[in-house]
Amino acid sequence: MSSLVFLLVKSAKNTLLELRRKPAKLALWVLVIAGIGGIFLFSLFTRQNAAGSLDLVWLKGILFLFILLSVVIAIQKGLAKGDVIFDMNDVNLLFVSPVSSRLILMYGIVRMAKTAFLAGFFILFQSNSLSTGFGVGFDAVLLVLLGFMLAVGVLQILSLLIYSLTNGKPGRKLVVRILAVAAFLPLLVYTGVQIAGTGDLLPALENTLRSPLAAWTPVAGWASAGAVSLISGDTGSGFLFFGLLVLSGALLVLYIALSNPDYYEDVLVATETAFERKRVLAEGQINPEASSSKKVKVVKTGIGGLGPSAIFYKHLRESFRANRLGLWGVSSVILVLGTALFSLFLRGGDGRILILLQILMWMQIFMIGTGRGLKELYIHYLYLIPESSFQKIVWSNLEIVFKVLVESLAVFGIAGLIMKEPFGLVAAATLVYTLFSFLLLGINYLSLRWTGADISAGLLVFIYTIAVIVIMLPGLIAAIVLGSMLEGNGMLIGLGVLALWELLAALGCFALSRGVLHNSDIPVLRTGK
Amino acid sequence: MIDVRNMTKKYGKLAANDNINLSVGRGELAVLLGPNGAGKSTLIKSVCGLLRFQGTITIDGYENHTVESKRLLGYVPEFPVLYPMLTVAEHLEFIAKAYRLEAWEERGEALLRRFELDDKKMKLGKELSKGMQQKVSVCCALLPQPKAVIMDEPLVGLDPHGIRELKAVIAKLRDSGCALLVSTHMIESVEEDWDVTYIMVKGRIARVCRRTDLAAGQSLEDVYFTITEGKGQGDTP
Repeated sequence: MSSLVFLLVKSAKNTLLELRRKPAKLALWVLVIAGIGGIFLFSLFTRQNAAGSLDLVWLKGILFLFILLSVVIAIQKGLAKGDVIFDMNDVNLLFVSPVSSRLILMYGIVRMAKTAFLAGFFILFQSNSLSTGFGVGFDAVLLVLLGFMLAVGVLQILSLLIYSLTNGKPGRKLVVRILAVAAFLPLLVYTGVQIAGTGDLLPALENTLRSPLAAWTPVAGWASAGAVSLISGDTGSGFLFFGLLVLSGALLVLYIALSNPDYYEDVLVATETAFERKRVLAEGQINPEASSSKKVKVVKTGIGGLGPSAIFYKHLRESFRANRLGLWGVSSVILVLGTALFSLFLRGGDGRILILLQILMWMQIFMIGTGRGLKELYIHYLYLIPESSFQKIVWSNLEIVFKVLVESLAVFGIAGLIMKEPFGLVAAATLVYTLFSFLLLGINYLSLRWTGADISAGLLVFIYTIAVIVIMLPGLIAAIVLGSMLEGNGMLIGLGVLALWELLAALGCFALSRGVLHNSDIPVLRTGK
Repeated sequence: MIDVRNMTKKYGKLAANDNINLSVGRGELAVLLGPNGAGKSTLIKSVCGLLRFQGTITIDGYENHTVESKRLLGYVPEFPVLYPMLTVAEHLEFIAKAYRLEAWEERGEALLRRFELDDKKMKLGKELSKGMQQKVSVCCALLPQPKAVIMDEPLVGLDPHGIRELKAVIAKLRDSGCALLVSTHMIESVEEDWDVTYIMVKGRIARVCRRTDLAAGQSLEDVYFTITEGKGQGDTP
C-alpha cells in the first residue's frame, strides 16, 4: 500500500514542483484559480434575481442531457474497449509488481477522480450563465459540478465493468445494449405520451422533467435530480440521489474487486489504445480520423487542383471520404438541430437572436481548430510544397470558410424563422458569425507567428483565447455604444459595426502573421506521454 | 548543394544545435550519427525549413525557405505522417499536383513497385502499418526527383525488403548526383556507401570523418564509439 501512496503523493508533489520550472504554466494556473475566485466573489456581491429567470427544471434538463451523453459514450466505450483508468507506466511497472491487484484498482480509481474533476472543470466558468439564466449563485455551480463529477466517476467504473463482462462475448454485448435502452425506455415512452397529450413540445418536456421517472432514471436522472434538489433546498432528495450515485459506484467497484481480481487484461486494451493515440499525436498525426475504427469505403478517387489549390482539393477528398455530407458532418447537423431546438426556448422577445449569436461565437473560438487548414500546420508537407506561403495558407483554409458560411446560413436562417426575427437582423448575425470565424483563423496564425509555436499547446490556446478577447473588445465596445445610441435600427447598426471591425481585424491579423510558415517551428502536440 | 553555416537552434536556454557547420556536395552521401538527444533531428528539421534557427542554411545557393530551394528538396521524416483519408495513390497524386509535376505517373508506379506497394494503391493512409507508411513517405519524398534528399532515420520500421530497396535507392540517388543527408543509428546500414560522416554530441559536431580519413582496418563504428565514449579527440570543422 505504501508504494501506491508514495506514487500518488510523489506525482502530486512533482506536478507542483514542475510549476516552478515552468513559469508560464504557473501563471496559467494562477489566472485560472484567480478567475474562479473572481467569479465566486462576484457572485457573493451580486444579488441573484430570480424574477425573470428560467425555472430550475430546465437546468435539470440540461444537466440530464449532458450526463445522458456521457452515459451513451461510457456504454459505447465499455462495449468497445473499456475506459482508461491507468497509464502505460502503471501497466509496465505496477501490474508486474508484487502489489495486490485490488489495491492497484483502488489506486486507479483515486486517480480517476482527477479525470472526473477535469471533465467537469468547464462548469465552474458557467457561473454567469447560470446566474442570469436561472437566478442561482456560485454554490449552485459547485453542486452542479459535484453531480457531474459523481456521474462521470460512476460511468467510468461502469464502462470498465461492461468491458470486463462482455469482452469477446457478443451475446452479453447484446444484453447490455438491450438493458441500456430499457433503462431509458420508460422515460422515452412517457415523453411521447406527454407530447401526444399536450400537443406542444416544451410543456411535454417540462412535465417529463418534473416526473419521478426522470429523477429515477439511472445516473443521468440521479445526478440531475440530486443537484437541482440541493439547489432548490430539498436536501433530503438531494442526498438521496447523490447517495444513490455513491452507492452504485461503490457497489460496482466492490463487484470488480471481488469477482475479477485478474482484471489487468480488461484494462490493457484501453490503456494501450490511449497510449498509442498520445504517441501518434506527439509524432504529428493530429487527425482524429487516423485512430478511428470506422470502416471507410473508397469509391471516388483522385485529387484536383494544381500548386497550392491541390491542398484545398485534397481537403475536399478527405472530407467527403470521411462522411457523406462532406464538409458538413454530424457536428454540423447537431449544430443546426441544437440551435433550432434552443431557438424554441428563445422565442417571444426582441433581438433574442443575439443570445444565440453570443453562444455560437463562444463555441466557435474552440471549434475553429477542427478545420483541416489548422491541422495541416502539424504535418510537414505544407511547409515543403514549393509555393508561396500566403497562397498555401489561403487554399488550406478555404474548406473551413465554406463550411462556416453554409453552417451560419442554415443556423441563423432556421433560428430566424423560429424566432420570427426580421431578415436584416438574421443577415447581420450571419455576417458577424462568418467574419468572426475568419478573424479566429487570423488570430490563430498570429498567435503562432508571435510565439513561434515554441510553447506548449495549452499555453498557445490560452494566448489565443486572450488575443481573441483583446482583439474583439474595441469592436464590441463600438458596436454596443453605437447600437445603444441609435433608436430603432440600433441593433442592426451595432452588428454592422461589429462585422466591419471583424473584417478589418482579420485582415490585420493575416497581414501581421505574414511569413508564419517561415518564422514558426512546426507545432508539436506535447501530450505528456 | 546542402550548406549549413554557423547554425544554432535554441529551445529557451538549451542549445539543441550549437554553431553547426556542415556541407553536402552533389553525389555525396553524408551520414549524421550521434547518440539520442544529440540534436540530429533538430538539425534535419532546420535544414528542411520546419524550425527557426540562427545562421544560414542554403540548398544549391538558395536560402532554405525559398520556393526555389523547396523545389530541390526531398524530406523523409523520422515519423511517417500520412493523411488517414487518402489512398496511397492519392498521396502521390497530391504531391504531383502540389509540386506541379508532369508525366509523373510512370515514375510513381515504379516507386510503388519498388517498395511493394503497387497492390496497396487503394489502401487508405490509416489502414497501413507503420513500415508501409514509411515506404509511402519515401515515395512521396522521391517523386519530385529532388536534387537534395534529407532522411531522418529512414530505415526504422522497414521490413528487410524495404531496407534493401531503400539502401539501393540511396546508392542510386548518390550515383545520379543527388546530395544526401541521412541520419541513422544503424551504422552498418550505411557502411558501404557513405562519403562523409558528421558525428554529433550534445548539439555540436564532434567529428567530421571522410572515408579517406579511416585508417586501415578501422570502421565507421570504431570512429563513432571513439568519439561518443570520449576516447578520441574531437575534430570540429
